[in-house]
Amino acid sequence: MEQGILNGIPLHFFLIVAAGLFCIGLYGVLGRKNAIAMLMGVELMLNAVNINLIAFWRYVRPETPAALAFVAFVFVVAAAEAAVGLALIISVYRNTKSVDPEKLDQMKF
Amino acid sequence: MDLLNIINNLLKIIGDWIYGLVHGLVGNLLVTDLITMGLAAIILCTFAALSFMGLTYAERKIVARIQDRIGPNQAGPFGLLVPIADGIKMFTKEDTTPTAADRWVYNIAPLVIATAALTAYAVLPLAPGVVGTNLNVGVVFTIAIGSGSVVAILMAGWGSNNKYALLGAFRTVAQLIGYEVPMLLNLIPVVLIAGSLSLVDIVNVQSTLNGSPGIPFVLYFPVSALIFLISGIAETARSPFDLLEAESEIVAGFHVEYSGMKFALFFLGEYVNALAVSFMFATLFLGGYNGPIFPPYVWLLIKAAAVFTILMWLRGTLPRIRVDQMHTMNWKFFVPISALNLIILLLVAKIFQPGNAAMPWVTPGVQAMATAITTLIPFLAGLSIASRRLRSQRDAAEALAETRRAANRAAVTTSMGGAH
Amino acid sequence: MTITLQTIIFALLSVVVLGSALFVVTTRNLFHAALMLILSFFGVAGLYVLLESGFFAVAQVLVYIGAISILFIFAVMLTRGMVAMPRVNAQAQLAALVSVLLFVVIVVIVNPTALSIKVLPGASERVLGGIPWQFTTVTTITDSYIKQFGASLVDGSAYLLPFLLAAVLLDIALAGAVQVARERRPAEVLAERELMAAEAAEEQQREQALDTAPETVLAADHH
Repeated sequence: MEQGILNGIPLHFFLIVAAGLFCIGLYGVLGRKNAIAMLMGVELMLNAVNINLIAFWRYVRPETPAALAFVAFVFVVAAAEAAVGLALIISVYRNTKSVDPEKLDQMKF
Repeated sequence: MDLLNIINNLLKIIGDWIYGLVHGLVGNLLVTDLITMGLAAIILCTFAALSFMGLTYAERKIVARIQDRIGPNQAGPFGLLVPIADGIKMFTKEDTTPTAADRWVYNIAPLVIATAALTAYAVLPLAPGVVGTNLNVGVVFTIAIGSGSVVAILMAGWGSNNKYALLGAFRTVAQLIGYEVPMLLNLIPVVLIAGSLSLVDIVNVQSTLNGSPGIPFVLYFPVSALIFLISGIAETARSPFDLLEAESEIVAGFHVEYSGMKFALFFLGEYVNALAVSFMFATLFLGGYNGPIFPPYVWLLIKAAAVFTILMWLRGTLPRIRVDQMHTMNWKFFVPISALNLIILLLVAKIFQPGNAAMPWVTPGVQAMATAITTLIPFLAGLSIASRRLRSQRDAAEALAETRRAANRAAVTTSMGGAH
Repeated sequence: MTITLQTIIFALLSVVVLGSALFVVTTRNLFHAALMLILSFFGVAGLYVLLESGFFAVAQVLVYIGAISILFIFAVMLTRGMVAMPRVNAQAQLAALVSVLLFVVIVVIVNPTALSIKVLPGASERVLGGIPWQFTTVTTITDSYIKQFGASLVDGSAYLLPFLLAAVLLDIALAGAVQVARERRPAEVLAERELMAAEAAEEQQREQALDTAPETVLAADHH
């Protein structure tokens, strides 16, 4: 078997896709004006991290479950953070009728 | 002997023959695999769609008899052509699209629901060696596909550009994702005893292969089976949980703006989902295709039909429950009971594990009895507590209403007495 | 490098994932963004299947599409503003530049040594980037990875503590999200507004006192 290739896909293909997804998510977080759109960018970044973890697990050390534990915890953290973040956005919207994070630069409404 | 063998393995023999045929036509193994998989998918979908036709007819007749009327009997002898009449009606209805509706979202939603409903059949073991694909995570796959149809409902509600459709979609989604929780919690005991997430393995554990005890899981976990079935009914939004498409109340809910073929796809999705829930219950809890005399696929169909008859029976008998009753039942009764059940089951199943050297009298039968009894106790206790609480609440509400009525009566008589 | 069926499927899935992600971050219609996010998640689940970890593919569909996406759609519905907001903020171009730069840097780094870039072609053979992937002889795995993973989650010397902490985190997130996003009853809303008005009045008084007689206020603060 050729080095570093599984079923015809070399490892760095997966890493490049994950990097692309990460950078798209990064642009979403930094360049958008709506708080919910920013959270969507964060979710994309977390997905990219997961792809990276599982790709490395499969190609380098498939016999230990260490990377899989990391992946599971990234799932958990992403879910918890999405829930709390969206709850906060909804609460802020109720009080100020806007979801623009640039308007929230004071410690009060 | 040979004929018996052929009948028992009929599906497998047909499958192998088709595979050989395609392989003879196309030399490449990869292309043969792809073509046979495609054919299998088409056959499964056709089976699901045809059974949808038969199910609508059976449902209408049976519910009618429960309600002391005859049901459709005009289209064809005994109304047997009713599904075809329904189909013609659906095909020829005008296909409307609301103005200012989101074209893509509005049009794709019924496709997604039908696809999600049909995909659940891919992991169902129909006979020994006959399964769409033996996923090693089959159980979770089915639930995950179910949550795919939830997204389609939101798409339908939003794409209709209709406030009532949107509200109906939200309420439907709240019900669906709420009842996923007890469904998953009650699948865990099955996976625990079977030791695998694969549906084929679960069915094999319930058969007498390889020294397995051959006890269907409904005898191990009656409470889990019951809650799973009720959650499954709520997941497919069938009566008595069909408050969100109740024609008399919220104007058919999220699919109010759909007509013609798209509505037919929603309708198909609902029935195919209900049949999938019946098949899942039969596979997980009733032992799948195992059975003494008949061929395996016949046993599976009998079991699934029995479960679907229970669904139809519930539809004809029980009144529709209110939305707050439904949420109360889910979050205040099913989820705590399921969690408590799970904890108790983990302990009991481990203590009474067969093969334990310290207690050699523990057979799988003993384990089954132990788990069944120890989970029935908290369930029945919870039921009695809940019913007592609800009865006291009802009595208090009734007493309040009675005092108000008495006050009203007193006011009316005094006013009338004053007028005279 | 041989092109197998998996390579073609990988190409298709990458296009789906990256294309829908681009749509998510550049569209003005938030509901369409949420739907494209769901498509992206499906694509990522397909990539997990290609990586022979089917359990995580199903978990991805169940968690991300079955729960998080629905949360997003609900949030989009509940925060629909009256005014159409601009799509990008002031630093959008800079953000795009930074993203592209980061992508180029990562791509250069993760390429295997055979494809790495020679900085000074010719005389000295310095290479930029390139990681020797020769250690990866890809072994075949069986389905026992799920059992191993499950065993490691309840093993005291492995990942039991993070597992329990994750459970606690989810509990806290659940309670917190419900409390923060709860619909306040009118009495509660009025009480909150009173409290905020009282605090604002007190703040104003303090400002005035600082303008006229700052020493007394600062002395009072020290006590």
